[in-house]
Amino acid sequence: MRNQLTRIIITVCFVILAIYFLWPTIRDYNYRKQLSQLTGQDSIAYAEKHHDDMLDAKMKRMKLGLDLQGGMRVVLEVDLIQLLEDVAKNKDDKFRTIIKEVRSETASNESSIIPTFVNKFKADTIRLSRYYGSMRDDDSKITSMLEDESSKAVDRAIEIVRNRVDQYGVSEPSIQKQGGRRIIVELPGVKDENEVSQLLHGTALLEFRMMKDPQISYKVMESIDKYLTGKLETDTTAEIAISTEKKKEPAKRKDALTELTGNTAVPESDTSKEAQFAREHPFFLYVKPDQHGSGEGYIAEKDKDRVVRLLERPEVQRLIPTDLEFLWSARVQTFKDEQKYYLLYPVKKTPELTGNVITNAQASVDPEDNRSIVNMEMSSEGARDWARITGANIGKRVAIIMDKGVFSAPVVQAKISGGRSRITGMDSPAEARLLEIVLKAGALPAPVTTIEQRSIGPSLGEDSIRAGFTSILIAFILIVIFMVVYYHSAGAVADFALFFNILFILGVMASFGATLTLPGIAGIVLTIGMAVDANVLVNERVREEMVTGKTLRAAIDTGYIRAFTAIFDGHVTSFLTGIVLYQFGSSGVQGFALTLMIGLVANLFSAIVITHVIMNIMMDKGYHPKFG
Amino acid sequence: MRLFKKTNIDFIGKRFFWYIVSTIMVLIGLVSIIFRGISYGIDFQGGTEMIVAFSPNVDIGNVRIVLDKVGLGKSEIKSYGKESTLLIRTSEQAEGTTIGTKIRNALTDGFPGNNIQTLREDKIGPRIGKELRTNALLAVLWALGAILVYIGLRFKFRYGLGATISIFHDVLTTFGFLSIMNGLIPGLNLEITQEVIAAFLTLIGVSVNDTVVIFDRIRENEKVHRSMSLGDLMNKSLNETLSRTIITSGTIFLVLVILLIFGGEVNRGFAFTMAFGIVTGTYSSIYVASAFVLDWTRYQNRKKAVTA
Repeated sequence: MRNQLTRIIITVCFVILAIYFLWPTIRDYNYRKQLSQLTGQDSIAYAEKHHDDMLDAKMKRMKLGLDLQGGMRVVLEVDLIQLLEDVAKNKDDKFRTIIKEVRSETASNESSIIPTFVNKFKADTIRLSRYYGSMRDDDSKITSMLEDESSKAVDRAIEIVRNRVDQYGVSEPSIQKQGGRRIIVELPGVKDENEVSQLLHGTALLEFRMMKDPQISYKVMESIDKYLTGKLETDTTAEIAISTEKKKEPAKRKDALTELTGNTAVPESDTSKEAQFAREHPFFLYVKPDQHGSGEGYIAEKDKDRVVRLLERPEVQRLIPTDLEFLWSARVQTFKDEQKYYLLYPVKKTPELTGNVITNAQASVDPEDNRSIVNMEMSSEGARDWARITGANIGKRVAIIMDKGVFSAPVVQAKISGGRSRITGMDSPAEARLLEIVLKAGALPAPVTTIEQRSIGPSLGEDSIRAGFTSILIAFILIVIFMVVYYHSAGAVADFALFFNILFILGVMASFGATLTLPGIAGIVLTIGMAVDANVLVNERVREEMVTGKTLRAAIDTGYIRAFTAIFDGHVTSFLTGIVLYQFGSSGVQGFALTLMIGLVANLFSAIVITHVIMNIMMDKGYHPKFG
Repeated sequence: MRLFKKTNIDFIGKRFFWYIVSTIMVLIGLVSIIFRGISYGIDFQGGTEMIVAFSPNVDIGNVRIVLDKVGLGKSEIKSYGKESTLLIRTSEQAEGTTIGTKIRNALTDGFPGNNIQTLREDKIGPRIGKELRTNALLAVLWALGAILVYIGLRFKFRYGLGATISIFHDVLTTFGFLSIMNGLIPGLNLEITQEVIAAFLTLIGVSVNDTVVIFDRIRENEKVHRSMSLGDLMNKSLNETLSRTIITSGTIFLVLVILLIFGGEVNRGFAFTMAFGIVTGTYSSIYVASAFVLDWTRYQNRKKAVTA
C-alpha cells in the first residue's frame, strides 16, 4: 500500500511539472488567439496591456521549428584557404600554386585543410616561416598558430553574423557553431532572401566615433521629452529648428506618444508621484540618462523596441542635430540589480577612423592589477591619425562600433602615438575577448561561403502544422475508440495513460527548451503507436493469465511482471536507435529522434506504472476492471 | 472483444517456402535498385530545389520552356501534392542563392500576371549531400551494431544475429519497394530524403521491437517447457503472441495510413516507407529472425553431433 502511495505521488508530481512547463505555451497561444480576434486600436491596446506577460510567455513557450513557422536557415562555412592566403606574407608563385592545389584537393573530400596545407610544404621542403610568423619559428609552432588563427576566424565570423542579425531585428534567431568551421543561422519568419544574403556576407564595418558632448546630448533627449509632453513650442532653450507644419504637430505628437507608451497613458486622475513623473517626462520614463553625466541612456530590455520605433519617427528625427546619431549597444547588459538594459549612445555621425587600420588586437591581462585588457595595434598611417585624434580628445570617450552596434566606449587617457593602444576597464576576460574579436573583424575579415540555404514560406508552415495536428488527432481518437472496444475498461485505463503520455512528452520538451519540428510531430505519432503496443502487451498477458484460472488481482500483477521484460527490451532497442539517429542525423532527424526518445521513456512510465496504479485503485474501491 | 481465439498455426514448418519468397522479394528489389535506381532528394543530391505555388495553374511543359530560356531546361519539374504547386529542382551549383533567384525571375517574366509564391527554397552545397549520405549509412550501420550487441547480451548471440539479419532484410526489401514504387503513383514522391532515412531508422526500431517480443516469449517458454523442441517452442510462442502482434502492427499501420492521408506532403514519404516497413518488419520477425535462430541452432547441433 505504501508503494502504491509513492507511485501516486510521483505521478501527480510529474503531471504538475508537465503542466507547469507547458503553461507559458498555453498562455502564449491564448494571447495570440485573443490578439487575432481584435483589430486596429483594440489590438494595440490589448498588446500594450499585456506587454510584459506576453513577452514572458513568448520567451518561455515551446519553440516551433522553421518548418512549422517559416523562415530561413543558412549554413555558412568559413573559407579557411582564403584565410590562409590572407594572413600569409611574401606570397610568391610557389605559394599560390600550393593554395590552388589545396583548394582542389579539399573540395572533393573532407580532409582537413590545415594538415593538408602544411604537408604540401613539407613535401616540397619549404619552411612555413617563409610565409608566416618570424624566421626563427619552426613548422610545428606555425602550424599551431595557424590552427589558432582559424578557430578565431570562426569566432569572428559568428560575432559579425550575430551582431548583424541583432541589428536587423529578427525575433528568436539561433546562431550556432557546428563542427570546426561551420555556422548555422536560423532566422524564423524572415522572407527576403537577398536582404539576408547581404546581411550575412558583406565585410564588417568597424568604426571609431567620438561620443557627443554629454551636455548637448542630454539637451537633445530633453527636447524629445518635452516634445512628447507638448511643451516644446513654448520652450526656447533648445536650439532646434521646429517643423513648419505646426498645425499637424499636435496630432503627430500624440501618435509619437502613443508609439512610446501605447494606450496605457497615465490617467489625469492619478496624482501619485510616479504618475506625475510619467506624465511630465514620457521619454525619460523609458530612457534613463546616465547619472554620472557621461551621455548614454539606459533602456530596459523590454522597452527597446518602442524607443527604437519612436526614434525612427521623422518628427523626432528632426529634433536630433544632423551631426548626432543615437546608436545602441551591441549587447544587452546586466547590471547589479539583475536588470537588463540596452545602452543608447549619442555619437558623432562621422567616424574618426575605420577599422581597416588595425593590424592586430589581443585580449590579455594586466600583470599589475590582473584586470582584463585588450592591446590594439595600428598600421603606420592609422597610427598617425590616431595620435592626432587621441591628442585632440583627451578625457573624452571614443566609441568602438561594428556594423552600427556599439561594443565599448573607452575614455581617451592620453595622446597615443606609435599606434599601440591599450583598452582597459573590461569587467571580465570574456568581455575582453569579445572586444578582441570585434577589433580584428575590422582588420581581418573572416571569409564565409554559403553551403546550405533553405527557406520555408510561412503558409507552408501553417499547412504543415495543421496537417500534423490533424493526423495526430485522428490517430489518437481512433486508437482511443479501438482500445475501449477491444479491451473494455482496461482499454479505457490505457487511453487515460496515453493522454498522460502525450502531456509528459510535451512537458519534457518544453522544459528542455526543445524545438518542435514536423519530424518531431511524426515522432510523437510513432510514440502513440509504441504506447499502444505496451498496453496491448500487458492486456494480452493479463487475459492469458486469467485463462489459467488466477484471480483478477493475481492475473493483473503477473501480467504486468511478465509483460515487463518484453516491453523493456523493446523500448531499450528503440531507444538505442534513437540515440544513433540523434548522433548522425541532420537537425530535422534529430528532432524526430528527440521526441521518440522522450516518448519511449514517458511510455515506460505511463504504460507500466500509471495504468497499474489506476487498476489497483479501481480494485481497492471494489470495481473490477474488465479486459474484454 | 477478441479477434483471435487460441490459435495453433504451424508457422515454423512453412519457413522454407517463405525463405524462397523472401529471397525473391529481395532479388526483385535489388534488380529494381540496379536498373531503375533510387532517386535522391535534394538533401543528398546537392543543388537548388524550390516549391512554387502558381495561381492560376500552369502547364509543366510551359514551365520547362520558360526555364530553358535561362539555361535551366534540364531541371526536374513535377507536381507537388496539389496541381497548382510544382517542385523544381536542378543540380546546378552557384554561389549563394543565385540559382533560386534566376528561377524566380524566369517564372515571373514567363508567366506575367500569375501570382507566384515560393513556398520553400533549398540550396544545398555539393559537399553537404555527400556528407549526409555518409552519415545516413553510418547511422544505419551503428543502429544495427547496437541492436546486435544489446540483443546478443540480453538473449544469446545467435538471437542478436537473427534480429540483425531480419532488419537487414527489412531495409533491403523496403529500399527495393521504394525503387519500384517511385513514380508509379502520381503525386507521391518517393525520394530518399532526410525524412525517409528517419523512416528507415524507425522501422528498424519497430521491427526489432516486434522481434524482441517474440524472443522474450521464447526465452520464457524455454524455462517452463524444458523438454520441448526449439521448433515447437517457437510455434507455441508465436501463437501466444500472435494477437498482440496483429493488434500492435495493425494500430501502427493505421496511424501511418492516417499520417499518409492527412499528414501533409512533407510527411508522406515517411509514412509510406514506414507503412511498408511495418508489414515486412512483422513478417520478418517470424520468418527471418526466428527461423534463422532455429536453423542456426539445428546446424550447430548437427555439427556437434558429427564431431562427437
